Amino acid sequence: MHRSLLTAAALIALAGCRENPEPTNNVAANVAAPSFEPNAPSAKPDAPAAKPNLLGAPVSGEQAKKLMHDRHEGMEDIGDAFKATARWAKSDNPNVADVHEDAAIIARLAPLASGWYPPGTGPDVGKTRAKAEIWQKPEDFAAKMKTFQAEVRKFNAAAHGDDAAAVIAAQGELGKTCKACHDDYRAPEDEHGSD
Amino acid sequence: MNTEATEPTARKQAVWDLPTRLFHWTLVALIGLSWWSAEEGELDLHLWLGMAVLSLLIFRLLWGLFGSSTARFASFVRGPRAVLDYMRGKWTGIGHSPLGALSVIALLALVGFQAGLGLFSSDEDGLMTGPLANAISLGLSERITDLHGDLFDVLLVLIGIHVAAVIFYLIVKRRNLVWPMVTGKAALDPGTQPMRAGKWWAALLCLVAAIAITRWLIAGAPPFGG
Repeated sequence: MHRSLLTAAALIALAGCRENPEPTNNVAANVAAPSFEPNAPSAKPDAPAAKPNLLGAPVSGEQAKKLMHDRHEGMEDIGDAFKATARWAKSDNPNVADVHEDAAIIARLAPLASGWYPPGTGPDVGKTRAKAEIWQKPEDFAAKMKTFQAEVRKFNAAAHGDDAAAVIAAQGELGKTCKACHDDYRAPEDEHGSD
Repeated sequence: MNTEATEPTARKQAVWDLPTRLFHWTLVALIGLSWWSAEEGELDLHLWLGMAVLSLLIFRLLWGLFGSSTARFASFVRGPRAVLDYMRGKWTGIGHSPLGALSVIALLALVGFQAGLGLFSSDEDGLMTGPLANAISLGLSERITDLHGDLFDVLLVLIGIHVAAVIFYLIVKRRNLVWPMVTGKAALDPGTQPMRAGKWWAALLCLVAAIAITRWLIAGAPPFGG
């Protein structure tokens, strides 16, 4: 059972690595066990991390699946709201009242993102665009997450004021923090559009 | 006129003018860079490249009306009969062959369509949008973006056919088509009507007009559009 799950994960990783310069199935093993041993029976995803983990306690099984699902939905909602604010920012006569709601959605979801990346929710576990690098560079990832959340607060505060120019500027700054993380830690979109 | 058929090697004569050659190789470079920038997520650059492609294509359309004889659509876009004649070996002329013309038209049309789709495309995070993306709904823009990505594969196939044809000529028919596109000159059969060169100032006017038309399109084609 365990072995067949691992095989399935490896197959999924292999299927996705056509575009990826580094084979994700090796990375998967690195994340699960600090010392890499091929086919090590001890490669259980809930093995204790070598150092205190910034991204939370490791998860597995149904809990991991649910978290990855929530993460996907949450990021999609943030994305949809953000795209609406981007269109607002580029519109002819942006009225702050019209961006209020989308800014609030982002502000409500952004703090949740801190809990979306515990070890055991990477590409070795299931279908996700979260790259294994997140768990290889947790300090950098956590720092970028923090910057993102800070910019969300600034943007939301501006969106509750009445200075459209300030909201547009804050929206631009927020966009940079999205990009900073996505550039490094999000895998390219599946070309066959099944995300 | 040119009746020196006794010459051992045919004299090299002009077949492609400079604007047409510059167009060709600049387009090659721009398409390569566009591909690279899209793969690397360098969307800022990708947008600028797209607008350059658009300007270049509009230039080529204008040069196809006002340029040298071999650049003009009227001289090389032919019907199916001419294509069949050509395939039976009954074609003499310079410039695009009737069959090659089909490939040229298909490539120009698809690259133009791609550039047009790009104007309405947007990246998945809404950070980078084509200049006209906000004129349509977000959902439509996302569908257009997908099409923009999928059609590039079709473009690669067309480019592959184009290059394969050039290689076929080189190996099977022992005719180098690449070098004339670099130097502009080729050895012509005696009696072939040479290229009638366009005017340099016409090329300049076409370029200025192409850039102006591109800017106008990017602005949403006022006063007709957004």
